Amino acid sequence: MPLDLVTVEGLSFSYNAAQVLRDVSFRVGSGDYLGIVGPNGSGKSTLVKAVLGLVRPDGGKVTVFGAPPEQFREWHRVGYLPQRLKFFNPAFPATVEEIVRLGLLGGKRFPKRRSAGDDEAVERTLGYMGIAEIRRKLIGELSGGQQQRTLLARALVSEPQLLILDEPTTALDPETRENFYQLLHHINGEHGTTIVLVTHDTWSIGRYASRFLYVDKRIVFDGTFDAFCQSEEMTTFFGEHAQHAICHQH
Amino acid sequence: MAFTEILGYGFIQRALVAGTLIAVLCSVLGVFLVLRRLSLIGDGLAHVTFGSVALALFLRVNPLFVTVAAIPLVLLSSLGILRLTDRARLYGDAAIGIVSSLGIASGVLLASVAGGFNIDLFSYLFGNILAVSTVDLLVAGALFLFVVLVVSLFYHDLFAITFDEELAESSGINTGAINTLLVLVTALSVVLAMKVVGIMLVSSLLIIPAVSALQVAHGFRSAILLSALFAAGAVVAGIFGSIALNLPAGASIVAANFLVLAAVFLCRKLRPHA
Amino acid sequence: MGRTVLVILLLLALVAGCSREAGKPAGGGRLTVVTTMFPLYDFCRAIGGDRVDVSLLLPPGVEPHSFEPRPEDILRISRAGLFIYTNRYMEPWAVDILKGAGGAATLPVDAGAGVAYLSEEEEHGGEEEHGGEHGHGHGGMDPHIWLSPANARIMVDNILAAMVKQDPANREFYGKNAAAYREKLARLDEEFRTGLAGCRTRVFLHGGHFAFGYLAQRYGLHYVSAYGLSANAEPTPGRMAELVRTMKREGLRYIFYEELFSPKTADTIARETGATLLKLHGIHNLTREELAGGATYLSLMEQNLRNLEAGLSCR
Repeated sequence: MPLDLVTVEGLSFSYNAAQVLRDVSFRVGSGDYLGIVGPNGSGKSTLVKAVLGLVRPDGGKVTVFGAPPEQFREWHRVGYLPQRLKFFNPAFPATVEEIVRLGLLGGKRFPKRRSAGDDEAVERTLGYMGIAEIRRKLIGELSGGQQQRTLLARALVSEPQLLILDEPTTALDPETRENFYQLLHHINGEHGTTIVLVTHDTWSIGRYASRFLYVDKRIVFDGTFDAFCQSEEMTTFFGEHAQHAICHQH
Repeated sequence: MAFTEILGYGFIQRALVAGTLIAVLCSVLGVFLVLRRLSLIGDGLAHVTFGSVALALFLRVNPLFVTVAAIPLVLLSSLGILRLTDRARLYGDAAIGIVSSLGIASGVLLASVAGGFNIDLFSYLFGNILAVSTVDLLVAGALFLFVVLVVSLFYHDLFAITFDEELAESSGINTGAINTLLVLVTALSVVLAMKVVGIMLVSSLLIIPAVSALQVAHGFRSAILLSALFAAGAVVAGIFGSIALNLPAGASIVAANFLVLAAVFLCRKLRPHA
Repeated sequence: MGRTVLVILLLLALVAGCSREAGKPAGGGRLTVVTTMFPLYDFCRAIGGDRVDVSLLLPPGVEPHSFEPRPEDILRISRAGLFIYTNRYMEPWAVDILKGAGGAATLPVDAGAGVAYLSEEEEHGGEEEHGGEHGHGHGGMDPHIWLSPANARIMVDNILAAMVKQDPANREFYGKNAAAYREKLARLDEEFRTGLAGCRTRVFLHGGHFAFGYLAQRYGLHYVSAYGLSANAEPTPGRMAELVRTMKREGLRYIFYEELFSPKTADTIARETGATLLKLHGIHNLTREELAGGATYLSLMEQNLRNLEAGLSCR
């Protein structure tokens, strides 16, 4: 049985006395392409942050590659693309190349030195993401799509086994968005990289994900797309029209 | 007064060397501080130093050792600033303002309770670039080496955190520890550099060269190097200018820094957009 | 409404009555004197002895050029019988207070009345071009009159007159003490005159601010200082170099530094020229230790004389 990359059991989290997540449990297996969908404020981002050890849950257990996030040390095996950068400063003086290189930090110990292997990895990833020509441009000079690709390159440069993306396509136009999903599909299919994708876009989930979670402070659904469409429980929960709309975009 | 003749004086030579060393270390730290909106930490910590020195004098510490005695309290205050930005969810500038006001007020209150200080506090607190002694020079040199070492060793972590703290955390970087390191190194640098060249210079060197560099840098590494270059250049230009025009040296350096910023800014405006 | 007015009037009368009491030695009360700087304090002690209650506004260690009185200080002044300040150039704030808050019974005393003041231009007449670093904070006149024993005598006379006016009962006592003190000042003057007569050089350099103009004038010395009249504007590199050159040109082996401030500047010049540091006390104010040690105007001036003799290689 393949190792579960991520396990979550009974996770609970409150923020300012409001319960954001309640008793959430699920697993992510190697090679999965897992979508996490749900309405705004449903706790999706908090969920992935708990997996990454960025927030501490009030209750429950989380493991990443078998270890609790606080104790996990091999973060180069995990790539993360957050929903938005906290204080994104368009005038930040970093080039595409410098930012991509940041993704290699997870695998380094003090004193963190640059190695030849790093340069190769960065070259490779820049090429792969199609941003080699703009490597010397400052991040503020890039279009939304280019910025996204840069941050994704940063997440991929360490060749992670697990890639976590939080609403990566909200700011992108449809064509760019489509390219982005194609790319993820390729990564998952060709390289076996496990993907966890948090999104609003149920339609893309239907097209690409092998499995998805519907989260609304708790897990409402955990299964394949087909199972979702055939489930009577889901029909009751969402109403026939909504379910039909989601399923028939497939 | 022959230019070359003045350059022969020991105090001018020490001013140039100490000034350049301090300029480089301040301007390098400044890049990180400015990007994290902690620009005014220099001023803030100066006020805290005033309060700490007041306390030291209140406790009858020998004036010669007063600066050293004040260091622990300044370090603690800098940690306080960090805490406030975390826990109280304040932006850096507000946190600095709080700690800074507290520092000055404590100093004033202590002075009043003590019935006045026994010496002129300011003249002992704030150095003067034209009065750099050999000891001051050694302090500047040691501080320079220390800061350069720390920044080199932790460059990638500092860069990562400055870019985006959460992202850095997700790479397994101990952001709490690195932030603490940055703030403590800054505090130490401010207290010691202030003693050598005075607060006006330290404060401006923490901010202006970094801002100038950020106008034209084409990368983070480049920003750091440019900042150091601009700062060192301003020290030399400032001192030479003060000799030639018979002006106070410290203020001339600040003016030179500003001129660099203005020049860089204009260049950017006049250059056709890429 | 009528009741409120009455209460207010009563309160005012009470306050007015109280202030009229202030200062006047009624029965067993002593004359209260508030002085701004140490020399005045010392003179008052010498003249008034135990029959006056003298206090010094400046806390120990605080230098007067940046002193600003607190409300408590102003209150003390308004309750005193005498408020003695040096002159309006040294304490411009004193003049302002007197316009506003001076109590009706307080007699203000300009201790420097009748002294021949030197202006900045007169004092720097013999020096090279500086380009105006000398601060004009004192309205162009040098306020440091007390550092010449001759001026000190005039100040003592002014203080005596004021004390006698406010407390005529003790006129004889004050008169006797003042005469004795004037004697001491005369002796001090003589010591300075003879002590500084045959010196190898008549130039002395001070790393602090320009306080010894009157002393230099009285005894025919040429005096150069790093800072202007108030110790604020930093010397420029040009000025520093000029001072070093002066030291070398005159063959000066000593440089003087002032009280209460860090001797950084004097130190730097000393380092450049191999000179030795000597203190020249401006007697604006004393440190706690000096006060506890019983230092007086006379003792500090004697020490100054000894240091000057050493620094100028006299005798």
